Amino acid sequence: EDTGDDDNYEYGKGDFTEHACRYCGVSNPACVVRCNVPSCRKWFCNSRGNTSGSHIVNHLVRAKHKEVCLHKDSPLGETILECYNCGCRNVFLLGFISAKTESVVVLLCREPCLSVNALKDMNWDLSQWCPLIDDRCFLQWLVKIPSEQEQLRARQISAQQINKVEELWKTNPDASFEDLEKPGVDDEPQSVALKYEDAYQYQNVFAPLIKLEADYDKMMKESQSKDNVTIRWDIGLNKKRVAYFVFPKEDNELRLVPGDELRLRYSGDAAHPAWQSVGHVIKLTAQEEVALELRASQGVPVDVNHGFSVDFVWKSTSFDRMQGAMKTFAVDETSVSGYIYHHLLGHEVEVQMVRNALPRRFGAPGLPELNASQVFAVKSVLQRPISLIQGPPGTGKTVTSAALVYHMAKQGQGQVLVCAPSNVAVDQLAEKISATGLKVVRLCAKSREAVSSPVEHLTLHYQVRHLDTSDKSELHKLQQLKDEQGELSSSDEKKYKALKRATEREISQSADVICCTCVGAGDPRLANFRFRQVLIDESTQATEPECLIPLVLGAKQVVLVGDHCQLGPVIMCKKAARAGLAQSLFERLVLLGVKPIRLQVQYRMHPCLSEFPSNSFYEGTLQNGVTVNERQSSGIDFPWPVPNRPMFFYVQMGQEEISASGTSYLNRTEAANVEKIVTTFLKSGVVPSQIGVITPYEGQRAYIVNYMSRNGALRQQLYKEIEVASVDSFQGREKDYIILSCVRSNEHQGIGFLNDPRRLNVALTRARYGIVILGNPKVLSKQPLWNSLLTHYKEHECLVEGPLNNLKQSMVQFQKPKKIYN
Amino acid sequence: EDEVHVKQKVTEVDPLEEANFDQELKAVVQARESMEQRRQELRGRPTLNMMIPMNVFEGSAKDHHGRGISGESGDEALDEDTGGNREVQVRVLVKRGNKQQTKQMFIPRNSSLVQSTKQKEAAELQE
Ligand SMILES: [Zn+2]
Ligand SMILES: [Zn+2]
Ligand SMILES: [Zn+2]
Repeated sequence: EDTGDDDNYEYGKGDFTEHACRYCGVSNPACVVRCNVPSCRKWFCNSRGNTSGSHIVNHLVRAKHKEVCLHKDSPLGETILECYNCGCRNVFLLGFISAKTESVVVLLCREPCLSVNALKDMNWDLSQWCPLIDDRCFLQWLVKIPSEQEQLRARQISAQQINKVEELWKTNPDASFEDLEKPGVDDEPQSVALKYEDAYQYQNVFAPLIKLEADYDKMMKESQSKDNVTIRWDIGLNKKRVAYFVFPKEDNELRLVPGDELRLRYSGDAAHPAWQSVGHVIKLTAQEEVALELRASQGVPVDVNHGFSVDFVWKSTSFDRMQGAMKTFAVDETSVSGYIYHHLLGHEVEVQMVRNALPRRFGAPGLPELNASQVFAVKSVLQRPISLIQGPPGTGKTVTSAALVYHMAKQGQGQVLVCAPSNVAVDQLAEKISATGLKVVRLCAKSREAVSSPVEHLTLHYQVRHLDTSDKSELHKLQQLKDEQGELSSSDEKKYKALKRATEREISQSADVICCTCVGAGDPRLANFRFRQVLIDESTQATEPECLIPLVLGAKQVVLVGDHCQLGPVIMCKKAARAGLAQSLFERLVLLGVKPIRLQVQYRMHPCLSEFPSNSFYEGTLQNGVTVNERQSSGIDFPWPVPNRPMFFYVQMGQEEISASGTSYLNRTEAANVEKIVTTFLKSGVVPSQIGVITPYEGQRAYIVNYMSRNGALRQQLYKEIEVASVDSFQGREKDYIILSCVRSNEHQGIGFLNDPRRLNVALTRARYGIVILGNPKVLSKQPLWNSLLTHYKEHECLVEGPLNNLKQSMVQFQKPKKIYN
Repeated sequence: EDEVHVKQKVTEVDPLEEANFDQELKAVVQARESMEQRRQELRGRPTLNMMIPMNVFEGSAKDHHGRGISGESGDEALDEDTGGNREVQVRVLVKRGNKQQTKQMFIPRNSSLVQSTKQKEAAELQE
């Protein structure tokens, strides 16, 4: 039984720093001593940091402790410092004397041994007694001062903090700095900052936010139990039981994704005992059915179909890995290079160039030729330790990233790690990189191994299964046995696991590039891998701690790809979002002055469609790599108000309503008109897969799906094939035709989701050939950006009303936009 | 290889804090009661307990006679000429329970322990 979980894995390297300075974290054995008071036994270093005395002296003075012991790896070995004559251990009384004629020294206490007359007669030179603690610091040749680099990378602690923590230790000797800054239960969490003193402060800010988000996620998912679920049973190709059922989502919040774990329960009846089993979601069908592959193979009540219950099994793995990455970032000096460490924390670092020979051409085999801005991006990135690539919609982010990875891999600095927050993005990138001829391994979470993937042949689990299928291979034999019998004897299972692990390691190590999600980079199977070069795609959709997971595996060169003008990471907990968890690392680096290299030629939208987004979100820099002719939909007869301008804003005055779930909105008039537009498209020869309906609200999404299937003028099946989705879930994708239903229509309330300019950008940039927007201009025009969008449509005579077959320009009056105050 | 130049911020020590610390430090160093206590404690004990292993002063005595603390490397003289910052080797005598041990250590030439001995040496040489 391969549970594939890493619940017992301890994230973040912590153990090896037992002797780290309790103030600042420096752990060089030559620089630290242990307080020898039995109730204390804490380690401290001999650096001054931001205080007038060294850390160890600070501790001894503040805690009134007086004895110390040297580290076992220091030159004197594990030694309690004491007077050679009387055994006095008060370090404030001790000092060295040397022999008159010899290079021999001993520790002697100032009082009384220094005044013992008998000593003077010996070889010792008592007049030259030299105190152990000098200028509030231990003698540097005995306890070294950490190097400047070590000190810069340590926790920057102030005298006030020292006093506070020493106070705390009097009642709780195990308290940490985190305890000092822990907010009370009801306090607002500390907000994210632009710069951080050190990685400990960084951790102090982010750890509580991740905790908040994790708690919220847990609470929400575990409250999603459903009863009276009807099951359809099936058997998968791997002979495992699969349960199909509908798991209705009531609002926008919980999205099941493949790999999620659910528990299926049956309370039992006269003929069946109570039963339950956990399984992984392996797919979600177009009919919103969930396919759950069960872990249990025996005792499944397959002759029962009704009366099941489903619970969500919440996993803390992704949050644990974020917390672990932050810890590693703080305590492990080798986690990232010094340059990257200081840069990420916002310290001023002298610009550094990467000294690597540049390739003669910047494209890569198997990929399309690069355009000028893509070449510029590849070239600049190869020379810098940290770079940001901004890829506006349709500008070839993936191809550029793949070309970059190709050149990085050819530099011979070891394996390149390629990540993205979403599995879809990782798959896309893995496919493109593999096209260049590089050896790619796509590492999937164990819980997703049963989920089908477009790049299955690149996945590690597939490669392990197909590496050596000769009859001689022991692993192959055991695998076959396991497949046939469902399980192995415990000794065979042990052998199987060991062989599998070894094969996994062997395949991973021989790859040029490893691709996985950001969270996947924290997989224990990569724990002993080091990656100097890391590229993170869609990095603007990841939280900072998520981005950190792939970085702390030894990064020296980091490339973040994304677009901070599109939607950022989804944060469910409002408190955490308010405190800034939704800001990506990419964005913070932009604020710190790292200039993103922007890809400037878009290949997606009809030039008319890219005009407004280019001007509003990209300072007008977006150029068109496609011509009007290439985006002319020949043979499609659709009533565009202006021929050759495939766009219009369809004025709607229908009321918004609160959806049945009470947490979302819908707008019936808009939904009815969406159906009419869809029908007109279909009649004119557009096929369902070319059309996407997007709306910011789950209530409206569900309503439109329902409305079209009931009231659609054409065959029902056609409407079922049309994708209706939220703006957020459409990010990163495109359709030939987009219909956008805005929903919100009220006098006094706001426009909610539509207020976010980044959401508008995403919504406007999904279409290749044409776009129709449905909304209430009176309401929307209050917001400055929507006002300028409406003005843009009006100026081009694309603001219309009336029936579809007789659209007329609308004379609706806009409201004055509210000024934005910063 | 991983060399990084961070533009260092000037760390300022809060003068009030420093004064406060100094006071506490003084209190620890000059703790009256403990000093008195120690005198009391030691009254009954033999005052000299410096068991020195014999070999410490043997062997090297001839070579290093008159040179006090000195390095064992041949380029010693050169260092002195250039006023270099090199280190000198010393043996530190420590006790582990009742056993004495010596440990080799390197001390920077400019440390006060070495400096004072050197000055003394020089003075003695003058005489
Ligand atoms: Zn202590
Ligand atoms: Zn320290
Ligand atoms: Zn003594």
